[in-house]
Amino acid sequence: MIFRRRKDKKKKPGIAEAGTLMPPEGVALNLAIAGVGVRLAAQITDVLITLVAMVCILLLMGLLKLTGPQTFFAVAMLLFFVIRVPYYVVSELAWNGQTLGKKLMKIKVVSHDGRSLTTHALVLRNLMKEAEVFLPGTLLLSLDEATPTASLIALGWVGMVFAIPLLNRYRMRLGDMMAGTHVIHLPQPILLKDLAAEKPVEAEKDFVFLSHQLDHYGAFELQTLEALLRAEGNPVTDSALLSRKRTLAAIVEKIRRKIGYAEPVPEHDHARFLKAFYAAQRGHLEQRQLFGDRRADKHHATNGTETEGAE
Amino acid sequence: MERVDLMRSARFRAEREADWRRLEELVTRAERRGMQAMGYAEARDLAASYRQATTSLAIAREISLDRALLDYLEALTARAYLSVYAPQERVGGIVWRFLTATAPQAMRRSWFFVLLGFLCMGLGVLVGYLLYLENPAWYYVFMPPSLGDGRGPDSTTEYLRSIIYDADPDASGLGAFATFLFSHNTRIAIFVFGLGVFACAPAILLTFYNGLSLGAFLALHVERGLGWDLGGWLSIHGVTEISAICIACGGGLQLGAAVLFPGQRTRKDALRLAGHDAVKLALVASVMLIVAAMLEGFGRQLVQDMTTRYTIGWCVGALWLAWFALGGRGRSA
Repeated sequence: MIFRRRKDKKKKPGIAEAGTLMPPEGVALNLAIAGVGVRLAAQITDVLITLVAMVCILLLMGLLKLTGPQTFFAVAMLLFFVIRVPYYVVSELAWNGQTLGKKLMKIKVVSHDGRSLTTHALVLRNLMKEAEVFLPGTLLLSLDEATPTASLIALGWVGMVFAIPLLNRYRMRLGDMMAGTHVIHLPQPILLKDLAAEKPVEAEKDFVFLSHQLDHYGAFELQTLEALLRAEGNPVTDSALLSRKRTLAAIVEKIRRKIGYAEPVPEHDHARFLKAFYAAQRGHLEQRQLFGDRRADKHHATNGTETEGAE
Repeated sequence: MERVDLMRSARFRAEREADWRRLEELVTRAERRGMQAMGYAEARDLAASYRQATTSLAIAREISLDRALLDYLEALTARAYLSVYAPQERVGGIVWRFLTATAPQAMRRSWFFVLLGFLCMGLGVLVGYLLYLENPAWYYVFMPPSLGDGRGPDSTTEYLRSIIYDADPDASGLGAFATFLFSHNTRIAIFVFGLGVFACAPAILLTFYNGLSLGAFLALHVERGLGWDLGGWLSIHGVTEISAICIACGGGLQLGAAVLFPGQRTRKDALRLAGHDAVKLALVASVMLIVAAMLEGFGRQLVQDMTTRYTIGWCVGALWLAWFALGGRGRSA
């Protein structure tokens, strides 16, 4: 167990951060964690929205002569407070973990343990927002040269507020930690067409790959090829088309040399060759996988003994 | 006919694609209009298709290497999961439950921390009182200059009395309410609660310090023979307001205690567990502060009689106590 976890940790850096969420159904979901930048943007949007609401009400009150110049500032502060505190809690409750700013940024609060968001969690994380975001915010606004210690404390606090999310993998702020939540990018389900399902008969007729020729690559190379073939469909300019053709030729050449495919491939057949190779390779790898032989990448043969031991 | 030629994973996809599309449509509708607006059949279908999709995802991870399919299924399942497990409570119900059950229950559960909060404040008052009697110069040490309205050991007794019984019509109403809410004590309450996380000490110190200044203030008036009058002036809102600070302190202490003594849990878990009650204490304190600000903004200027001030202040206090002691007893939650 311990060893495997360490191995995972070594692999992680570099890849886009994805947190695992375990719903009650027991099938883990990997969801991209929202970074500090996008969350800050959502926060600023929300602050602007509440500010605008405050100003509207304030103007209305001013017109109705409910507030005078001497109490203006205090009433403004009160209104801002009275609007923003329920705004976050109620909007996150009603829209399942999304405020308007979060909706705009397509991010969402989720419960860290994979269960549904509780009222308690939402109230807690948004109350902590008062201490984490608004208190240092107002402190920053009231920075003053005359009180260097207070300014330093305020700066230290703001620094801490920003540092805490950066120091943990799930980018949780203090309120998230206490509430057991984190923020994810909302995944977009877009089903692209299956490359292997396109006219398989025709492609397989022209190019035949033998079993030993398909033993060289693993899932990583397969999926890289898949991404390349998908990009093939996009419309491009003439100059890009030329470079794309060159890339295709280079890839075809490399694959041919690697798997020992003797027959030369004419240039107009490059794309079809790659498609056929993709289909054949995927069929082969999936079959191996069914027999318990998962091949992560092309190095599967060299470190095969090691993974067998780990499995 | 064509299906026979497809490989296993492509066949798997072709057989289920229609179901996934249906789920996608249901999820979009649930997200746009909310689960409440969906009919019985749709809601049932959503839950059922979601569970089918999780199974599909689990199988696809085993048999398929089609990244597009895996990504799609993962995203679809995640979206469906988020709408199936969305919070289903209504805001009104939550507020009602908080008032009738969970808040008083939380108060009773954390009686020890609340008591500690009151103890900090009480000790502060006592120490401040005694120190002032020993040497009035302590007053300037404890009292923030902005707070006393220029009242101090130098001011005359008449001036002190005039502030206690002064109906200034400009200073009442909404503006005064707002000013008082954001005055000193609210800030103290927020700080006391928030700072509790840092191992209790700041919360205790701040509450104690607040007690010190209150004690010195009290001693100043007692020395001039205005003790009872000041008592009335403070009571009308202070019973509520000072209790709110003590309760906020109790909540902060609870958090700090979880950080200091997590027991068998990790600090993070302990903090999360303590947060359940602490946040309710903070909410109770904020409700009390709002009531206190109302009493201070409207009540204190309107009611000039000392006995009435006492009565109002302590009756409100007794109401709070009754809420904490008796609320939420009926249910076994």
